Amino acid sequence: MATLTLENVTKRFADGDDEIVAVDDVSIEIDDGEFLVLVGPSGCGKSTTLRMVAGLETISEGAIAIDDEIINDVPAQRRDIAMVFQSYALYPHMTVRENMRFGLEESTDLDAETMDGSVERTAELLEIEELLDRKPGELSGGQQQRVALGRAIVRDPAVFLMDEPLSNLDAKLRAGMRMELQRLQNELDVTTVYVTHDQTEAMTMGDRIAILDGGRLQQVATPLECYHRPRNLFVAGFIGEPSMNFFDATLEGDELLLEGTELSYPLSASIREELEGETELVLGVRPEDVEIAAESTDDHAFPVTVDVVEPMGNENNLLATFEGSELSVNAIVDGMRHVEAGQRYAARLPESAIHLFDRSSGRALHNRRIDDEEKLLETRV
Amino acid sequence: MTAAERTESTSSEGRIATTLETIDSQRAALYAVLLGLIAFYLSPLWGGLTTAFKTQTGFVQTTPLAPPTPEWFTLEPWELAFATMQGGLVNSLLFVVPATILSALFGSLAAYGLTKLSWRGQIGILVLFLAGVFLPYQSVLVPLRQFWSAVDLAGLLAFAPFLANRADLIELTVTHTAYGIPICTILFRSYYKTLDDEMIEAAKIDGASAFGIYKRIVLPLSMPMFAVTLIYQFTQVWNDLLFALVLVTSRSNYVVTQSLNELQGSMAQEYNIQMAGAFIAALPTILIYVVFGRQFAKGITGAS
Repeated sequence: MATLTLENVTKRFADGDDEIVAVDDVSIEIDDGEFLVLVGPSGCGKSTTLRMVAGLETISEGAIAIDDEIINDVPAQRRDIAMVFQSYALYPHMTVRENMRFGLEESTDLDAETMDGSVERTAELLEIEELLDRKPGELSGGQQQRVALGRAIVRDPAVFLMDEPLSNLDAKLRAGMRMELQRLQNELDVTTVYVTHDQTEAMTMGDRIAILDGGRLQQVATPLECYHRPRNLFVAGFIGEPSMNFFDATLEGDELLLEGTELSYPLSASIREELEGETELVLGVRPEDVEIAAESTDDHAFPVTVDVVEPMGNENNLLATFEGSELSVNAIVDGMRHVEAGQRYAARLPESAIHLFDRSSGRALHNRRIDDEEKLLETRV
Repeated sequence: MTAAERTESTSSEGRIATTLETIDSQRAALYAVLLGLIAFYLSPLWGGLTTAFKTQTGFVQTTPLAPPTPEWFTLEPWELAFATMQGGLVNSLLFVVPATILSALFGSLAAYGLTKLSWRGQIGILVLFLAGVFLPYQSVLVPLRQFWSAVDLAGLLAFAPFLANRADLIELTVTHTAYGIPICTILFRSYYKTLDDEMIEAAKIDGASAFGIYKRIVLPLSMPMFAVTLIYQFTQVWNDLLFALVLVTSRSNYVVTQSLNELQGSMAQEYNIQMAGAFIAALPTILIYVVFGRQFAKGITGAS
């Protein structure tokens, strides 16, 4: 039970004579019992951030505190945290029971009986009781994953750290473990920081997600807020699969001219007011918001040719090209609908669903409209 | 089957037959060469063994490779050699076992510090260890003798006569341990570099101290490498004569290589006794290979 605070945390690595800033001035406050997902592309500094919290890397600048105690100079051994590694990092010469007991033996003064009791209770929770006397080498990947979790849980730490714990599992198992991890975290109610590069994991697991790019924090918010109210171009493009469509556009009068095409997109006055006078913009729209119709019906719909249809069963992913240009757009339509590759359709980009970004800074100037905003964005997993 | 098909199948059968023939003759040649090599490499050993079972006259009157006939068969050389070398065998065991274990243990500790702990100046220290590997025995003989003359070990151990009498052997132990540490460190270092860093970090987060991690994680996982270093060091130290000649002064402390040297008669060369002595001297190293062989194989292939 603890809060975890990162205040202006910076990490610099020496690279010959140069310095590389891996983590740049990151501040996050994580509530007691909260599940925070740190997400970003590889090399964005998410693992380094986690390792600083764990005490495996020194902190170049800033402070990390558990509750109100600053832990910058507390060695990893005494930070009261537990970590699950991507490689599981089990001790191969010890049985599962010994693996799970190791942390208790090294960090507490409990007597043997109490330790055995905790190990067995944790094993029960994770349904690995029958594996207790086996060695890691005899276990499957999924079982090793559970043992690694068990080794962390049994310690009953103030903070859990997880470094891409699911990335070595196959897709089916991963989906199952995702749910299971959330269940466990809910049940144990331990403050958790979870690092992943997988935006699906970030969206589905986190109470809040913190998106990092190039060592800088891009946005910290609930998953749906990041999805519907991205603070900048990077977040908009990173969250969501398939990614948001982006078109460079220039505001002229009350119309957006889409670059590389002859198309113009009429913009209502209320949206124009939000643009703070910027005219060099990026228009964004999510694939599921693009409406595909047989004929263009209003001035927000443009003729396209469908190039590729990817049937997913529940939906079809389309790749279409605007007529008279090379600009293409991703769209998702219902799986029951038949769309023919090579045919002409009209793609409508509803004004209520568009996002507009400042092209030079990437800052979001306008985000999509949401009907029942409070109810939707308050949703926590 | 058409005519064309038939011709094709016969010709392919013919090809197969030719292939088989070439394989056979190749294989026969290969085995012949291998057998020749085996005979070549084993003949000295065989010659030594037959000689050790012959009487002196038998040795003079037959070729070394001929097996001993009942007429000239004897176990006497073995008895004589063993009688002379008995003390040397015991003395050698007394210093070789601790020297081997200590150099492996210190090497393993040093390698752990050089791979899994982070501190400044590691490279410099590593270079010193590497240099130590290449120091020839001969180059340190004089300073070594001077050092042990300056340190009066027997005097220091005067309170325990048993140890004081064995001061030469203790000097050998310390010398061989020190001399063995560099190579052991390099061997363990290459092994520890393959150990998963995340596992060490996991232990750290689990609350284990640097020494705790060594004792409970690294050391138990090092057994295959211990087998390698134990075999290697045991053989090196056991077979050494040079340091013993320089450091061992009293006859009662002669080690096995020195006592083997004593079998050399001053007038007549009794080869049968010398051969028996050589086999007796080699026996412990062979036993070590047999005992640790499996672990040794694991260690050099890097499997854990």
